[in-house]
Amino acid sequence: MLDRELVADVLIAARRKGGDFAEVFVEERSSTSIRLDDGRVEELTTGLDRGAGVRVAQGTSYGYAHSNKLDRDALLEAAAAASAALRGDAPGSVVDLTDRFGPGTNRASRGADTVAAADKVGWLREVDEVARGHSPEVTQVTGIYFDSLQRRLIAASDGRWVDEERPRIRLVAQVVAKRGDVIQTGWDGPAACAGVEFLDAHPPRVTAERAATRAVTMLDSIPAPAGEMAVVVANGCGGVLFHEAVGHPLEADAVDKEASVYRALVGERCASELIDGVDDATIPNGWGSYDFDDEGEPAQRTELFRAGVLQGFLQDRLRAAKMGVQPTANGRRESYAHPPIVRMTNTNILPGKEDPDQILRSTAHGIYVRGLGGGQVNPATGDFVFGVSEGYLIENGQVTTPVRGANLIGRAIEVMSSVDVIGSDFETWEGVCGKDGQGAPVGSGSPTLRISKITVGGTGA
Amino acid sequence: MPDLGTLVHAALDAADEDEQVEAYAEEARQTEVSALRSEIEGMTFAESRGLGVRVIREGRLGYAWAADPSEDEARETVWRARENAALSEPDEHNALPEPQTAEAMPEIFREQSVAVAADDKVRMAMELEAYTVSRDPRVSKVDLAQVGDAVSRVAIASTTGVDVEYARTDAWAVVVTLAVDGDETQTGFSYAITRGLDALTWEPVADEAVARAVKMLGAVKPPTARVAVALDPFAASSFLGVLAGALNAENVLKGRSLFADMVGRAVGSYAFTLVDDGRRLDGPGACPFDAEGVPSGRTELFTGGTLNGFLHDTYTARRAGGGQRSTGNAKRGGYRSTPGVGTSNFFVDPGTLSYDQLLAKAEGGVLIMEVSGVHSGANPISGEFSVGATGLRVDGGATGEPLREMTIASTLPEMLAGIAGIGSDLRFFSSVGTPSILIGEMTLAGV
Repeated sequence: MLDRELVADVLIAARRKGGDFAEVFVEERSSTSIRLDDGRVEELTTGLDRGAGVRVAQGTSYGYAHSNKLDRDALLEAAAAASAALRGDAPGSVVDLTDRFGPGTNRASRGADTVAAADKVGWLREVDEVARGHSPEVTQVTGIYFDSLQRRLIAASDGRWVDEERPRIRLVAQVVAKRGDVIQTGWDGPAACAGVEFLDAHPPRVTAERAATRAVTMLDSIPAPAGEMAVVVANGCGGVLFHEAVGHPLEADAVDKEASVYRALVGERCASELIDGVDDATIPNGWGSYDFDDEGEPAQRTELFRAGVLQGFLQDRLRAAKMGVQPTANGRRESYAHPPIVRMTNTNILPGKEDPDQILRSTAHGIYVRGLGGGQVNPATGDFVFGVSEGYLIENGQVTTPVRGANLIGRAIEVMSSVDVIGSDFETWEGVCGKDGQGAPVGSGSPTLRISKITVGGTGA
Repeated sequence: MPDLGTLVHAALDAADEDEQVEAYAEEARQTEVSALRSEIEGMTFAESRGLGVRVIREGRLGYAWAADPSEDEARETVWRARENAALSEPDEHNALPEPQTAEAMPEIFREQSVAVAADDKVRMAMELEAYTVSRDPRVSKVDLAQVGDAVSRVAIASTTGVDVEYARTDAWAVVVTLAVDGDETQTGFSYAITRGLDALTWEPVADEAVARAVKMLGAVKPPTARVAVALDPFAASSFLGVLAGALNAENVLKGRSLFADMVGRAVGSYAFTLVDDGRRLDGPGACPFDAEGVPSGRTELFTGGTLNGFLHDTYTARRAGGGQRSTGNAKRGGYRSTPGVGTSNFFVDPGTLSYDQLLAKAEGGVLIMEVSGVHSGANPISGEFSVGATGLRVDGGATGEPLREMTIASTLPEMLAGIAGIGSDLRFFSSVGTPSILIGEMTLAGV
C-alpha cells in the first residue's frame, strides 16, 4: 500500500525524540452494506476508506496521530504530532523493514467482491419472506447484509512489516411480532471473517427463521421473576457472560491501572474447577480471528483458566513489556483512526461432559437463558449485568413458560465460582464489543452451563 | 486540497437532470490527552475529512462515501451512489428537503478554543489527574483522567437548493476514579462538556468523580422489594436514549415503537415534559441545521405527560403525511452513514424540587447513581427494561448505605406514569439532559 522507503522515513521522523518504538498502521477498506426494512430494500451503501496512524510509545505512554491522507507530507506531520507526547531528545533507530508472513487463517474462498449486489439483495429478500411466512403475528422485518475487505499494513521500528487482508461478512435478521398490545422482538446475526461461502453454512433462511421464532415465542412470555435463583445458560450464551464478566477484567490495561478484580489472582483458583477458558484468535474464519493483531504480533490461543485457576492476562505490546511477559497478540483497533488497545478476540469456555438435557432435568426451579442482548461490566468491581432476550422458567426440571424483561446481575468471581455443571454441547455467538469508544468484532462460545445462584432482575413474583 | 464548499459543489456537478443529489462533507480535528501516574498516558491527534452522497432517482435511494476525496473522486462518489440507487426499491417518500433559512448560531464556534496549544492540553490533563488523586486518601489512582477538544466543519449542498455550512467547537473533561478501602474497589465517574478547553472548569469534575466513588465504598446487595426510586441526572440520562428510540418517527412508522398509537394520550405523569431543542445554546447538541440542511427547532414531545408527537426527518415527515413537517432531526454518525432520525438537545424539562425535597419524597427508597446494561437490558420497541444499578439507601431524608449488585425493572409507560417529582437540577450529558427524577415505585431485585 505504501512504499517501504517512505514508511521507514516516517518511522525515523516519529522516533526523533526516541521512545521504545514507533509504528505505522495503514489501512484501506472497502465495504458494502444493504438494508431491507419494511418489506423494501431501502438502502445500499458502498464505502471506500483509507488512512494511516502513527504511534510512538515510551513505557505505557503513547502519542498517536492519524490522517486519511497518505501523502508524504501528511504522514510526516502525523509522525511529528505523535512524537510530541515524548519528553526525550535522543533520536531512536529503525531496523530494516522485513516481511512477516502469517498462516492465512481467514481467506475467503469466494470473495464478496465476486458476487453481484443483486445476489446480496436476494439474500435479504429471502430473510423477509421467510420471517413473514413464519407467522401472521410477524409485523416487521429488518434484514442487514454487510461485507468488508480490510487491507492493512503494520510497520514498526523493530523491523516488522505485516501486510494482511481480512474479509468480513455478516447477515442480520431482526423481527418484530405483535399480538394485541404486546410487542416482542427476535434477533439473529451470524458473522465471520470469511467470504460469502460463509452463508452456505449459515443460510439467510435459517437466520430469518431463528429471529422470527424468538419474536413469536416471546409473545407468550410473562414478566420475569426477581431475586436469586439457579440459571441454566444455553450453549453459546455462556460465552458472552464469560466475555463480559471475566474477559474484560483480564485485559491487561485494566490490570495495569489496578482497575481489575483479578489483578492479584494469577495462579489462584477464582472460578469453578469445571471452567477451562481461552481467548483464541487462531480459529479459522472466526469473527474475531486474524493472522496478526493490529500491532503486528502473530495471533495465538491464550489460556485464561485451567480447571478454574487463572493462568494470565490478555496483553498488548505496551502492557506486556511493562509486566515482563510475552505479548498475547490482543492489541486491536477499530481502524486507523484509533490507537490499539487490549481487546478480546474469540473468547470461549471449553465444553465439559454433561448431557445438556440432563442439566435441565436436574434443575428443580430457575431460569433457562437461550438468547441474550449483550452486557456490561465494571472491571474494577467485577459487577456485571447482561440482558436476557430469550428466557424461560424451569419448573421441576422442565422448560416451561417464556419470560421477558429479565436481566442477570452478579460479581464476576462469585458467579464463575458458582458454575456447578458444564455440558458437552459447544456453540458460538458473534457480536461487536465496545470499549473506549472503539468497536471490535468478537466471538464468544460456550457449552450449556448452570449457575447455582445468581440475581435475576425482573418485575414478576 | 479543495475546501468543503468546493467539494460538495464538485459532487453536484455530476448530477443528472432526472435525479436529486445531496452532498455532505465534513472535516474535524480532534485532540485527546489522558494522564496516569503523573505521566501522559495517551495523546491522540485525529484529523478526518470525507464526503457522503445521496442520490434519489425515480424514488430509489443510493448512498456512497469516500474518505478525503479529490474533486474527481467526489464526482465518482455520485456515480457509485447512482449505481446503488438502481438496486434499491422505489419509495415515493424519498426526497431531499427544500432550502430553508435559519438564524446563524455563531456561539457554537469558540475562536479562543482553536488557539489552545497542545502543551496546554497536556498540562491540563496532568493537573486534572494530580488534583483528582489529592482529594481523598482513599482515591489515590484514576482509571481515566482525560481532556479533549474538537473543531469541526460541515457543508451540505443539494440539487434542491440546500447550501449550508457551519463550524463548531467542543471540549470536554472526563474522570473515572478508583476508591479503595481494604479489598474493596469502587469507581466514580464525572464529565463536563463546553465549547472550548479555555472555558472548561475541571475541578468540579474531579471532585464529583472522587465523591461518587467514595460514597459507594462498603456497598451491600439489598433485598428484593418494591420501593421508591430517585434517579440522579447520571442515572436518569441513561434512559433518554431508549426514549429517543421509541419517539423516532421511523420506528413509529415501521411498527417498532410502543408509542405508535398513543399520541394525544396522557402516558406520563403531569410533571413530565420532554423536549428536543437544537437551538438551545447551553446544550452540547446545539446546531443551526440538521444533517440534511433543515433548520433545527424546538419540539415538545411530551407536555405535562401527554404525548404530542415524534421526531422527524424529511423522509418520515413525508411518509407520515397529514401536513407533518421535518422537525429538523436528521442526524448522522458522520459522512460514512446516511441521515436518520436522531436527537439534538434532548432533555426532560426541570421541575421545582430541590435535591433535598426530592430525597425527602424518596424516604425508605433508593437514590440510583448509575445504571448499566441499558443497551442490552432496555427494549425501545416493547418498552420493557431491566438494568443493573448502584446507588444509596434514602434514610431520614438523607442518603446512607451504599447498594450494589441490584437491578431495577419496569416498562417505559409505567415509569413515566409513576413520576412523582422532578428536580430543578437539569444537567446535560453529551446531547441528552435531565434533572433528578423520582419514580413512585419500582421493582428492585437483589438478594
